[in-house]
Amino acid sequence: MRRLPRPGDSALIVVLLLPLAVALPRLGGLGGPPELWLTWVGRVTGILGLAMMLLAGLVSCRVPGFDRPFGGLARLWRLHHWLGFAAFILVMVHILALGLAAVPASLDAAVATLFPPPSQAAIWLGWLAWVAMVVFLAPTFDFFGKPHYQRWKRLHLVSAVALLLGLWHALLLAGEAWPWWLLGIAGLGAIAWRKGVAPQRRHPYRIEQVVPLARGVVELVLRPEESGIRHEVGQFVYLTPLDERLAAGRGEEHPYTIASAPSDSRLRIGIKDLGDASRALQTVTPETRVLIEGPYGEFFERRFPQRDMLWLGGGIGITPFVAGARNLGAGSVPDGHVHLFYLANSPDRAYYQEEFCEIAERIEGFDYTQHYYRDRGPLTEAFLREHCPDFVEREIYLCGPPGMNAYLQRLLIEQGIPVSRIHSEVFDFL
Amino acid sequence: MNKIAYSAFIAFVASLLTLVSVNALSESERDDRDDAGLESITLAELAEHDSAESCWKAIHGRVYDITEYVPNHPTEEEVLLEWCGRESTEGWDNKRPGVPHSPRAEAMLERYLIGRLVDDTGEPLEPGPGEPTGAMPERQAEAMSPAQDERLARALLGLPLDGHYRGVFTDRGSIQVNITFDLRDGHIESLAYRYLAYRGVDYLALEEGDELYPVMLQHRQIAERLEGAPITRIFALYEPASLVDDIDGYSGATLRGAKVISAIRDALNRGVYAWP
Repeated sequence: MRRLPRPGDSALIVVLLLPLAVALPRLGGLGGPPELWLTWVGRVTGILGLAMMLLAGLVSCRVPGFDRPFGGLARLWRLHHWLGFAAFILVMVHILALGLAAVPASLDAAVATLFPPPSQAAIWLGWLAWVAMVVFLAPTFDFFGKPHYQRWKRLHLVSAVALLLGLWHALLLAGEAWPWWLLGIAGLGAIAWRKGVAPQRRHPYRIEQVVPLARGVVELVLRPEESGIRHEVGQFVYLTPLDERLAAGRGEEHPYTIASAPSDSRLRIGIKDLGDASRALQTVTPETRVLIEGPYGEFFERRFPQRDMLWLGGGIGITPFVAGARNLGAGSVPDGHVHLFYLANSPDRAYYQEEFCEIAERIEGFDYTQHYYRDRGPLTEAFLREHCPDFVEREIYLCGPPGMNAYLQRLLIEQGIPVSRIHSEVFDFL
Repeated sequence: MNKIAYSAFIAFVASLLTLVSVNALSESERDDRDDAGLESITLAELAEHDSAESCWKAIHGRVYDITEYVPNHPTEEEVLLEWCGRESTEGWDNKRPGVPHSPRAEAMLERYLIGRLVDDTGEPLEPGPGEPTGAMPERQAEAMSPAQDERLARALLGLPLDGHYRGVFTDRGSIQVNITFDLRDGHIESLAYRYLAYRGVDYLALEEGDELYPVMLQHRQIAERLEGAPITRIFALYEPASLVDDIDGYSGATLRGAKVISAIRDALNRGVYAWP
């Protein structure tokens, strides 16, 4: 089944090509002697490179809801990453092509094109933009090893400087300035929103309860101080704890999946100790405040609403399914039948098992199967077929540790299930 | 992805370094040609080559025969031909107002070098780039554009007599500017257009609201601003912005101060039309 491109992607492509479309008539053709087509290549890559940089800035705005037309925030971050990568490559092609285009005239001219007298400020602004780009992208692409996350985040702010300089460079040289004003305001505006406005607009919550589920796993029960957020099943939030007694991560934001049903008056978040900040949260003090930003994501996006669903969850990746099951338990009517497989190592790690059993007994459209790795090894096709004979016909949602995700993807694709029918959201952008 | 980004970055820096170092190492072989070895060309000789058939231009003291290049130039031919047969440094340094031609264009220009510009006594009119200038620091400090240098303008004009003048600018067989004015003590008075047209449009017949009406207003403004000014002031028209309030959108394509200059100089060359 051929699917239409997502509306967000289409809009992004239109905006990306706008400056090029406006400039193209005055760029001439691609043919002719090398100096002419190299100039053409140099200009086109420059225009596309800057447009991509500015759009990478735009999609980093993280306005709740903005990610939905792009298929969720995780995918939007991947888009952001690709845009930045492509821009980095294109900008270097841009510089080299314009330099090489002058070589047929003379080597002097080539060097003078790239390194003109200081009076030609436009060119030097371009160079400064490139230097700023290297400063903030070098750690992103691990040029000098993996940087510390918070330090990387601060360095990444240099991107605003790079955008500003790049924009200035283009405005001095471009024939038509308006597409650059448009993209420039959008890109820099998004960064200003992200760093300036958005942190002021987070929702305050109080930690009502810290429920220990297993060793290294807790569920935080949060009570909104004001109106709170409205969310859908499978979405996640950025949580910023303010507890002064925290050993790490105080005031830092990290993403966590919501485990409560949308109708619940409390926000429940399952947290496993995967890093410094989430480890410290295991012993967070009740009645301290946290700030919540979101919701984001589109985990339970339906591409085939006429089909039944298969849910495969493991580890802390069970949380979106906890929200889904609780939602069914609270009386929500599912689109078709739902069968959940909970993949855990052993009974003591299947911390939501009792709740699933209880909901499965009560709700007709919801089945639940427990699978222990310790007893049976990795999940097999035979086990799936035994408990859910029509699993290859279903729309499949999976969430778990990266190794499990990769294993299950392979297993399902080997059964001839098309990739478009397998949903999985991986938070590896953190 | 990280490896590709890193490799591309290293390749890019290496290419730049190669380009710069190859250029630095080969520099000694390709010194600029010495101006003294170039053929001397006077303003009169230069003026003979003022058309598409043979187009010479003087730029920064050197003379170039760009006849072959004219059809390849990206802008309209007419823009380029306007400068044939004369000192064109102003046009060269202002591709767009304030924006000079690129280093690449400069390198291409050198292919068409045929000589150096000299005055009637054989002295260079402007020191060439290859000539040492350290001996004349004051002259270098005083170097200003021909549009501002009143003494140069007077020398070029040879101090015309007072009287009533008429002159025209024609191109491709049709009159574009026909101008009339009086000179009194070397100052312009009663400057008016007897005829003003371009591409079949009679500007003097335009009415308010017509698309090209602003261009006519600009020409009127030129006449007003030159009233009572010394005749040398006409060279300010090489930079129309210094005389006309709003040149936005018209500076390059439509308003050509150079045509008005040309018509005025034509009048001066013809001599006095009627005594005052």
